[in-house]
This record gives sequence, C-alpha cells and structure tokens, in this order.
Amino acid sequence: MRNRFDEQLAILNRELIEMGALCEEVISMAANALLTGDTELARKVKPLGGEIDQKERTIEAMCLKLLLQQQPVARDLRQISAALKMITDMERIGDQAEDISEIIGFLNGRTGRDCAPIGEMATATIKMVTESVDAFVKRDMELADAVVEYDDVVDELFDQVKTSLIGMIAKHPQDGEYALDLLMIAKYFERIGDHATNIAEWVLFSVTGLHRRENVT
Amino acid sequence: MKKHIFRSILIVAVAVLVLCLGLMMSVMYRSLLAEQHEQLKTKLAIITHGIEEGGVYWLENLDMKGYRVTLITSEGVVLYDNMADAASMENHLEREEIADALQSGSGESVRFSSTLTTKTFYHAKRLEDGSILRISFTKNSVLSILLGMLTPVLIILVAAIILSSILASRIAKRTITSLNTLDLEHPLNNNTYDELSPLLLRISHQKRQIESQRSELNKKRDEFSLITQSMNEGLVLLNDKGVIVSINPAAQHVFRTDASCIGKDFFIVERSSEIRGAMKTAADSGHGQTKLRRAGRRYEINASRIDFNNEAVGTAILVFDVTEKALLEQQRREFTANVSHELKTPLQSIMGRAELIENGVAKPEDMPRFGGCIRSEAARLLILIEDIIHLSQLDEGGELPWENVDLYEIATETLELLQDTATDRKVRLSLAGSPASVNGVRGLLSEIIYNLCDNAIKYNHEDGLVEVSVSDDENKAVIRVKDTGIGIPIEHQKRVFERFYRVDKSHSKDTGGTGLGLSIVKHATLLHNGKIEMNSKIGEGTVITITLPK
Repeated sequence: MRNRFDEQLAILNRELIEMGALCEEVISMAANALLTGDTELARKVKPLGGEIDQKERTIEAMCLKLLLQQQPVARDLRQISAALKMITDMERIGDQAEDISEIIGFLNGRTGRDCAPIGEMATATIKMVTESVDAFVKRDMELADAVVEYDDVVDELFDQVKTSLIGMIAKHPQDGEYALDLLMIAKYFERIGDHATNIAEWVLFSVTGLHRRENVT
Repeated sequence: MKKHIFRSILIVAVAVLVLCLGLMMSVMYRSLLAEQHEQLKTKLAIITHGIEEGGVYWLENLDMKGYRVTLITSEGVVLYDNMADAASMENHLEREEIADALQSGSGESVRFSSTLTTKTFYHAKRLEDGSILRISFTKNSVLSILLGMLTPVLIILVAAIILSSILASRIAKRTITSLNTLDLEHPLNNNTYDELSPLLLRISHQKRQIESQRSELNKKRDEFSLITQSMNEGLVLLNDKGVIVSINPAAQHVFRTDASCIGKDFFIVERSSEIRGAMKTAADSGHGQTKLRRAGRRYEINASRIDFNNEAVGTAILVFDVTEKALLEQQRREFTANVSHELKTPLQSIMGRAELIENGVAKPEDMPRFGGCIRSEAARLLILIEDIIHLSQLDEGGELPWENVDLYEIATETLELLQDTATDRKVRLSLAGSPASVNGVRGLLSEIIYNLCDNAIKYNHEDGLVEVSVSDDENKAVIRVKDTGIGIPIEHQKRVFERFYRVDKSHSKDTGGTGLGLSIVKHATLLHNGKIEMNSKIGEGTVITITLPK
C-alpha cells in the first residue's frame, strides 16, 4: 500500500518538475522574443501555455485522487497540498508569459532594448523562476530563501523601468503607446517574480511545515 | 521438527505399552483358563469316583468352594445341586454339555451370563447308572477383569506416558541440538550424523557455486563500472520509473551533478525540454536524439529504451561531446568555400581576357600582354592546385619515402632557389648552423623550409634580413627562420596555420601567396612529430622555430 503511494508521489513529483521546466521554458522564450523582437518565437509561447494549463489539470486531479484515496497525513499531506498551491502559481506564470508574448505582437517590430532595465528585469525573473523550480526539485531550503530575498531585486528593477519609461515619454511623446506596452510587460515580469516567490515559499512549507514568517505557537 | 520427533516417540511408546499390556493379559488369561479346565476335569473325576463309591449322599458332605456340582438324571431332572434348590430347577436335558455327556459319556460347554460380565464353564460326565454329573465354575470375563484392573492399569499408563514424554522430549532435544549446531558456513567440518553428509556435501557444493557466481557477478560489475568510468561519453542508465540506476563521471560532469544522484529521478538532475523531448520519443518509439549546449560545449544525446520481454525496463542515455566535431565541420565548410573562391578568381580573370581575344576586341599589340596575363594567372592556379594536392596528400598520410636527411643541406638548396626572389625584393638571406641529420621525408622538409623562407621574404621590408639557422642537438634538430618583416598581429597568430587564412583579408595578389603555405608547414611538421613555435612582434619581425625529434 505504502509502496504504491510512494510510487504515486514520485509520479506527482515528476509531473511537477515537468510543469516547472515548462514554466522556465515559456518565460525564457517570452523574454527572448521581447529582446530580439522575434514575433515568430512569441507565437510559439501560446501552445506551451496551453500545455502548462493541461499539466495543471492533470496534477490537480492527481492530487485530489491522492487526498481522497490515501488520506495522507503529516509530510505527505504537506507535499500534496503544497503541490496543489504551487501549480496555481506555475499556471499563472504560464499565463503571464502568454500575455507578454501577446503584447510583443503589438510592438510593431520594436524590441525591449530601448528600455535597458527591462532586459535586466527579464533576466532576473528568469533566474527567479529557474531557482524556485530548482529549489523545489532539490528540496533546497537555502535556494528557496534566496529566491524569496531576490524578489526585492526584481521590485527594484520594476521601479527603474518605470523611471526609464517616464523619461522616454517625456523625451518622445509619440512613443507613449510603446512605453505603456513595455510597462505592462514589466508589470507581468514583476508578477511572475511574485509567483516564483510563492513557489519558493511553498517549497519551504512542504519541507518544514511552516509557511514563511510563521512561527510555532 | 522437535515437536514431530517428540510426538513420534511418545506415540510409539504408548502404543507399545498398550499392546504389551493387552497381549500379556490375554496370554495370562488363557493359561489361567487352561489350568482351571484341568482342575475341573480332575475334580469331576474325583467326584465321579466318590459318587460311585458313596452315592449321592457323599455329595452332600462335600465342600466344593466355588464349584457348583449338579447331579442330573438321564431324563434331565436335577437330583442335586450344591448351590440351588434342586427341586426348583428346570429340566436340563437341552443343555449342550448334558446332551453331549448322554451321547458320548462326557461333554463340556461355555456360557456367558446375561450381562456378559461372567463366563461359566461346564464339564459333564455320564455316570455308570446313566445319570449325569456336572461340575461348573464361574469366572469373570476379560472385560470385567480389565474393569477391575482399571485403576492400576491407568496409573501404570499415566506413569508410563509421563516417563516416555520426558524421555521423548530429551531425545528429541538431543537429536535437534546436533542439527541446530551445524556449522553451515563450513558444511564439511561438521561431525554429525552420517545420514546428513550427502546434504552437507550438497550444501558445500552449492556454496562454492554461489561463491563463484557471486565473484563472477562482482567481476562483471567492476568491469562495467571500470568501462563506464573511463568512458569519454556520458552514460546514464534509468529504470522504468525514470530513476537513475547508474551514471558515469563523464555524464556527471555534463549534467553538473555527482554520484549522490543515483536513486533519484533523472528529472531532478536534468529537466531541459530537449532531454524531456528525447526521453519521451525514446519511450514512445524506442529511440530519441537531441542536441544540448552546456557551458560552451555542444553535446549530442541519444536516449534508447531498453526492452526486456517486450516490456520497457529502463532507458539508456548516451552523451557525446561533439564540440570538436562541430568545429571541424565548420572548418571544412570554410575550406570548401575558400577553395572555390581562390580557384574562381584567377579563372575569371583568364576567362575575361580570353573573351576579349575571342571577340576580337583586343588589339593585336595587346595580345602578348594578354597572353602573359593568362599564363601568369594559370600559373597561379597551378601553384594553388599543387598546394591543395600537397595538403590533401599530407591529410591522407599515404606512404612517403622516409630517409636520413641533412637539414643544413636542404636549407642551403632552398636558399639558393629563393635567392632570385630575395634579390628582387631586396632582402638579404643568411644561413648559419651545422649539419643536422634527421629521419624524415626529404620533400616535406624542403617544403617546410621553403615555405617559411618564402613567407619571410614576402612579408619583409626592403633591405630586410632573413636568417636561417639549423642546429643539431642530441635528440632533436631545430630550424629557426627569423625575419625583420612586418610581423603578425597577436590575434592572428593562432589562426595563420589554418588553410587559406590570411592576415591580409584582401587576398591581395601583391605577395602572390595562396594562404596554404603555413598550413603545409604545420601538417608536414606534425607528420614528423615536430613542434612549431612562433614569436612575432608587429613591425619587428617574426621568428618561427621548428623542432624535429630525431
């Protein structure tokens, strides 16, 4: 019985890793498309987003089945409930990457290079997503903590992007629409960073049983 | 087993006991009966005698102690009975023993009482007057005797059972102990029942067999791990669940992990879409292939499903480092492009001039100049093709005539050949050193010196100097060509030995080079297991040192 349960947990873990890897892929594709202005690449993001949605449903069903049939307790319960929460964040990352790629289609061939901090922001966000998935895969507490800390860097970069865009609009008022699109993209990146933070927090929860900033009372 | 032995012994003991008891009793009972029959007969004879002597009245004074004496007339009427009232007794004529006695003179019979607990023996004899004298005694039957003896028998039985169970348990224990203390590690060193020796022999044999098979297995495993350890290719073996069973150091290096990942899901180590895709194809169709870039190197990945009895039992992943291959591929492509370009340029110039002549556009007085141009372009083409042939010969590495040659002599000849060119370009040549004999291919060594000196002259300033020195050491010969030329910029120094690589990208015809000279030098030196060293400073000149082993 336990053996079978362990096997199912291993499959769940595998599916989560795949979903995480898909998120990494989709975000780096979107960022690449933004920096190179490659709309062809941007178009490829959508099917991957669909794949992520599909994965979310699969994992959700798997988790509910495990909860019902095995009635797990303690660590197993934490693992499964954390998985349920994590897939929501991963799915959001997929959606936002899709949104970014959609906006890239409206940039009329312009790239994000006109606003330097946005490239940095893309790199930082990719790093966060990769590391949060890494932290989950390796159950690495330190890495998870680092991801949570790194969110401040992305927030800081978002402020820089805003300042830079304000400057751009002031200098070239005709670029207003472009600047607004970039702002949207930057906001999506910032949100993706938040979701990566959430994933890292759920990793911490699934291992320690404590949510971040929560103490045993 | 102990229980079994105990039970068997106990059952046997009890059975033997009961059987003995029964047999003994029946034998004793029988002999008792026989004795009493004898007594009965004797008594009958005595009484008969007494009656015949003293009449019936004699009987009445007789004390028979348990024996019953009855006198019956020949009509069956009871005349006398010492235990009952004779008058009340029925006619005895029908009784078996009486009938027999009437007929044959004597008779006997046995009858059970109604309750079967007693048995009565009758003996009858006909007297001389025709009346019958019968004597009988009553005895308890076997059953009632047994019943009477029940208590002692039971006591004996219980005592015997207790005793035998104690004994049985002792025996069983002793039998078992020697089995339990068998040393199965060394089956042949046991001193135990002979009956066990075939078994022990067998165990020892199988033990040896297992031992040898295990060592064989260990050897195989060691061999396998040794092979995979020293393999340049990465090898990862996964089971049917995708868990790493084995990963060799090369693969650990590629996936940046260590041996601790064995037993974990492969996706924990590597989750890139390329790998996942290849593994999925492998799971579906049996074989998946992909390319991966890691830390500036290129890898080719082959994933194969491992089937056993038509069931997938795992996946084998092979990782090849194809960086060099890709680089070579690129060089080859560049070479082809360069060759076609180099061949095309002179040909086009030849064609252009030939067309002019064909169409009659060229004036007769220009003809010799055109002819000269065509000839010189064709000569250039020829040199180029010769160089290429030369290089491909070196590439092929075919049979070349190896002999002892003197480098100094070759250098002297080469410098003589180049003297005219040097004079044209106002470059002085000098040769220093001593005869140095090496084992090599004369043509190639001459080619090395020729190309080096040729370059040194071509890329020199006016009034420049080319110094060639040949020195001889115990186990190596060194050729040094030093010029006072233009020098080679540092960023080009690594690449000048590549085919068609030229520092001057314009492929200018001023110097007339083909871009193959240094490439030929490099190949020829490598063929002789030699080394090339280059020292160059822009504006100061270049020193190329070739070291050839003897």
